[in-house]
Amino acid sequence: MPLSTQSQADDEQYVLVASLDNARCLSNILKAITFKDHAIFSATPNGLKVTVEDSKCLQANAFIQAEIFQEFTIREDLVGFQVNLTVLLDCLNIFGGSTVPGVSTALRMCYRGYGYPLTLFLEEGGVVTVCKINTQEPEEPIDFEFCSTNVTNKVILLSESLKEAFSELDMTSEVLQITMSPSQPYFRLSTFGNSGNAHYDYPKDSDMMELFRCTKTQTNRYKMSLLKPSTKALALSCKVSVRTDSRGFLSLQYLVRNDDGQICFVEFYCCPDEEVE
Amino acid sequence: MDCVVTGGNVKVLAKAIHSLSRIGDELYVEPQEDGLSLRSVNSSRSAYACFLFAPLFFSRYTIPSGHTFRCKMAIKSVQAVFRSLASLEKTVEKCDIVLDEQKNRLTFTLHCKHGLLKTHNLSFQDSESLQAVFDKDSYANVFRSHPRLLVDTVVHFPPSLEEVTVSVSDERMWVRNHVEEEDQSKAMLTELCLASDEFDHFAVRIHNSVTFCLKELRGLLVFAESTGLPISMYFDEPGSPVVLSVTDSVLEGNFVLATLSDDPNHRKNNSRRALTPPPPADDFMNDDIDSYLIAMDTSMAPGPSATGPPTPPLADSTCSKQPAAANNRTRLHSEEEEEEDDTADSSKPPNKKFCSLFFGSVIPPSPQMSTQPVTNQEVLASDSEDDV
Amino acid sequence: MKLLLILSPGVVTTISKLTKMCVLRLTPDNLFFVLSGKVANGGVSMWCELSQANFFDEYQMEGVSSEDNEICLEVTPENLSRALKTVQNAKTVKVKLTKKHCPCLTIAAELPTMSSINRVVTHDVPVDVIPRRLWHEFKEPNMPDFDVSIYLPPLKTIKNVVDRMKNLSNFLVMEANLNGEMNLKIETDLVSVTTHFKDLGNPPWGDDASQDGGPSQSRDPEAMAQARVDIRKLQQFLVGQQVNPSKAMCNIVHERVVHLILLHEDVSLQYFIPAVA
Repeated sequence: MPLSTQSQADDEQYVLVASLDNARCLSNILKAITFKDHAIFSATPNGLKVTVEDSKCLQANAFIQAEIFQEFTIREDLVGFQVNLTVLLDCLNIFGGSTVPGVSTALRMCYRGYGYPLTLFLEEGGVVTVCKINTQEPEEPIDFEFCSTNVTNKVILLSESLKEAFSELDMTSEVLQITMSPSQPYFRLSTFGNSGNAHYDYPKDSDMMELFRCTKTQTNRYKMSLLKPSTKALALSCKVSVRTDSRGFLSLQYLVRNDDGQICFVEFYCCPDEEVE
Repeated sequence: MDCVVTGGNVKVLAKAIHSLSRIGDELYVEPQEDGLSLRSVNSSRSAYACFLFAPLFFSRYTIPSGHTFRCKMAIKSVQAVFRSLASLEKTVEKCDIVLDEQKNRLTFTLHCKHGLLKTHNLSFQDSESLQAVFDKDSYANVFRSHPRLLVDTVVHFPPSLEEVTVSVSDERMWVRNHVEEEDQSKAMLTELCLASDEFDHFAVRIHNSVTFCLKELRGLLVFAESTGLPISMYFDEPGSPVVLSVTDSVLEGNFVLATLSDDPNHRKNNSRRALTPPPPADDFMNDDIDSYLIAMDTSMAPGPSATGPPTPPLADSTCSKQPAAANNRTRLHSEEEEEEDDTADSSKPPNKKFCSLFFGSVIPPSPQMSTQPVTNQEVLASDSEDDV
Repeated sequence: MKLLLILSPGVVTTISKLTKMCVLRLTPDNLFFVLSGKVANGGVSMWCELSQANFFDEYQMEGVSSEDNEICLEVTPENLSRALKTVQNAKTVKVKLTKKHCPCLTIAAELPTMSSINRVVTHDVPVDVIPRRLWHEFKEPNMPDFDVSIYLPPLKTIKNVVDRMKNLSNFLVMEANLNGEMNLKIETDLVSVTTHFKDLGNPPWGDDASQDGGPSQSRDPEAMAQARVDIRKLQQFLVGQQVNPSKAMCNIVHERVVHLILLHEDVSLQYFIPAVA
């Protein structure tokens, strides 16, 4: 049952076959969006998009381009299904998800279509694991109508500088307030906790700031509980783009470099907290 | 107050706050002429710690002249300012501490690498002075060692262990875990024997043993190890506090920990104690007297106002230090316990065995609360303020 | 009863991971850590044998009488393990059965120091002395009449797989055949996972392996013997294994019991996990 001996005939039953030499390239990026069990998978010839949502206020998307996979065969324009993401991650890491160089888990992921399980063949050191994960019909992801033409403010930061701020966030604060402005304080993160408030100010000329394009002073609050899950994506990423549109919606785009140096994207959309102007 | 800390001193300050957090839940801040004092006391008032940072510790130190100011705040919120302890040295270049009395706000501003500015505005409450009065220099037994020796000693005890007993002779120090009598049959006993020449200084005038909490000692070790400062230990009779100190030219730290009184007789007195009636309900002082180890004074409400006759602490020590009486006290004095909880947020019940150094000063002035009579202070501690 | 031994710490940590309380049996030649399958332990039994000659430079013991030259103690391995850990760098370690406030194993160590006088640490670990009339409960368990005996793959690999499977299910099926193949399987409403190990080899048991001379020659080499076990019990066994033993074997009595054997230098550990329906 080694992965290489999968016969051609077997493959033809599948509408989607994707292979990776290193399953971590997939599991890492999926970890970044694991804050709810249900994940919607949408595969197109361009690649795989995985969407996780929380209470209609937060949406996270992970994009893994077709080129990342050693093999990516799709027999329909769009293949969609829904699986339990936590279960999928346990399966992808069945051999422990070793980070030791030279030790990696090979993956072959197959799907036959509606009503069939998502089948994973994983191999490490000659040991093979076969997983069959039950699938459901995909729900329609929410459209946040976040459109780049409506973007008011945008900054791109090296993730390193935000990681520290996020690890220090006062979790007794219900909200994280983001101020973006063409003038001082330029880019500010604020919390309002039990024992006081805290402001983190990033000057626009900081060497951590790769791009600063703010047109209008905007202050919006976002529920801490919604933003906290994005910390995982931040931790994996090397750059982050923070954008707000005219409605105060927030878009966080993380650029993630995987073990092989390839680039994937994780994106979060978050509604502003309604109670505050 | 307006002061500035730079370079490696930011980490020293952070570590001091961190080790104070092992003592209590609140940080008492008092800018003084001779430096910035940071203090903490635990909820059962059996442990007290104070750091004094001399003006030279800061690159700027200005305090309002003419009046004293004191405040307290949740120590957690101050710890949060210095949350990334490990990276502090690399990232923080300068720390401004500004006290705004009008706005009731203490502001920490960290100037970090890459121009990042972190501003923490912490609210505070006014407080009375918190000061332990003790004269460690009069203590019979004095030791000094590199923190490593103590670190290597406590490593033999499990993290869950609450108290250790330290015994000394002219040539040796023994450290062992303290075990409650009722747990003794099943408890594992560990004892470490250190020779005097492992210490930088080893002066014993009385051969005796004291038992105190390990948690606070571990807290000080965190500080001492990171700064590499030697730790001095002072102790006297069982029942008198043990004092652990670190000093250099710009800072001084003193940890004052209650010790169990009369430990060697602990066992044989136990049966008798159970029969002893608990102290009168209205005498807040009296039940503490036996284990009363540090006299605390208050500069806000000085003067004796004890409701009961102070018992000489050592004379009658066997009749009121037992767990049974302590339990009774807890029950009978529930009102007072609540009051205490208001001021010192106690996450755990007061430690019955050490049941309190008595700190009139940390309790808001109240008719039921007696402050420490001056006469009493003199019995166990001198009124010199060695901690400041 | 007298007991004096100088111990180089090791195995005890492993045992402390397996059980809170166990029996330490001492004979002139060997030490045994014994856990006899009581309901309270979930029916798990353990038998760990150490040859004293290879562990101790000096070993004196004197049992109840010359014909019953044994000492049998109930110990808390965690206490022993903690005591032995703190004396790992010691110049010498002595273990002695003492009468303190209660019967104790007293572990005394001289620690390295700059001082001319030794730094000495002593740990008194309370023990219960087990009376002779109860000794029969702590005799070596009989080798079960197994259907299949197989060498185990690296314990680290099994541990990784079992840890992930534990996230997905409470029970696991272990199956093996005489063709050197072993499978670990779980099945739930959400997912089924099977990990296939092959080319493991089957130990050649001699005539003394079981009453009828080991697995019957006529058994179909492809036929699987299987047992469904509580994953936690298998996990417990794996978590304690810090070193890869020189030999690790597994005997399966079909639908009855899994018998795990580890041999490492002069220690042997046997562990019995009952099968569940």
